[in-house]
Amino acid sequence: MSNVLLIEPNAALAHTYVQALQHVGYHVDHVGNAQQAIDAADTNQPDVVVLELQLAVHDGVEFLHEFRSYPEWQNTPVIVNTSLEKNIFSTVQGTLAGDLGVVQVMYKPRTTLEQLLSAVKQHIVAA
Amino acid sequence: MQEGSANNSGEAVQLLRSVAEQLKMPLTTIARQAELGQLTSDLSMTDLGTIRTHAAAALTLVDSYLLGLQLMREQSELQLEPVSVSSLLVETAHELSGFAKQYNAKLELSIGGKYEPVMAHAQGLKSALLSLGYGLLESYPLLDGGQLTLAVHRTPHGIVTGLYGDFEKLTSDSWRKALALQGQAPRPLTSLSGNGAGLFVAEAILHAMSTRLRVGKHQNQQGLATTLQPSQQLSFV
Repeated sequence: MSNVLLIEPNAALAHTYVQALQHVGYHVDHVGNAQQAIDAADTNQPDVVVLELQLAVHDGVEFLHEFRSYPEWQNTPVIVNTSLEKNIFSTVQGTLAGDLGVVQVMYKPRTTLEQLLSAVKQHIVAA
Repeated sequence: MQEGSANNSGEAVQLLRSVAEQLKMPLTTIARQAELGQLTSDLSMTDLGTIRTHAAAALTLVDSYLLGLQLMREQSELQLEPVSVSSLLVETAHELSGFAKQYNAKLELSIGGKYEPVMAHAQGLKSALLSLGYGLLESYPLLDGGQLTLAVHRTPHGIVTGLYGDFEKLTSDSWRKALALQGQAPRPLTSLSGNGAGLFVAEAILHAMSTRLRVGKHQNQQGLATTLQPSQQLSFV
């Protein structure tokens, strides 16, 4: 069973994502902040990471810098699913897709569950 | 008018921008919940309670913003009235408790003692506390599984009421900076995961009532609270 690490600070929304991902057969580790995410990845190697950039204390970009600094997670696909509009983080978009290895950026308010599940499936297969 | 209040149309627009940004969260939750039942072909997967609670939170944020604008316009002639803070907190706790459950947080009500009425705008004070509560619950992930306390206590400066929790990274300095950054930065408070619009709407309402939202402590918890003045007239009765 593939393992999805869901980094979503909003517990109510995360609960919905977890239900959808579990329904199609994934094991899901849900965490709400960057530190918990590193701990969760350490405990249970993720096959794909779904990440909100707006996290309390250490944001999603800071998380990615740390996550990619560990050899075992350098090729793990990361999908960004964020409420931020692209123009807000346009300055780091190149870094996200380049050095930080983000495979897809999705705008959360407009991303249906079906689209999210499709992206997870696509990137787990591709990895 | 002082720093951080929505004291002119520019600041009101910044507050509106924060509110619009923050509304994405309950609306996204509602949309995805509605979709869950369809996607799984099991309509029982859609939690109507979740949809109702998040819709209520979104409507409260919009209503509070509009009330804040109205109170700011009427500030010079705003008539404050004696309000029972204990009764108002009980009502507020009742409305917030369902939302707290959505975030696995336990909402406690702490009213230690009897309090004379305070001078306030009753609807404004309730809206401010609700907005504050919704804002903290939606944007403070460390509350997950934790406790949020809606409390009142007396100090030499007045009767203090607010919401408290495990907000150790929330300091007077960070709150002051956040007031200056709201509407301009995606996360004016780095301890929050969102923009915390509810906190700034609460501040705008309270400012129109000639008080402020400040970082304070209650027992061993930290949070945001406001100081209200007792009604002198009724305290002698």
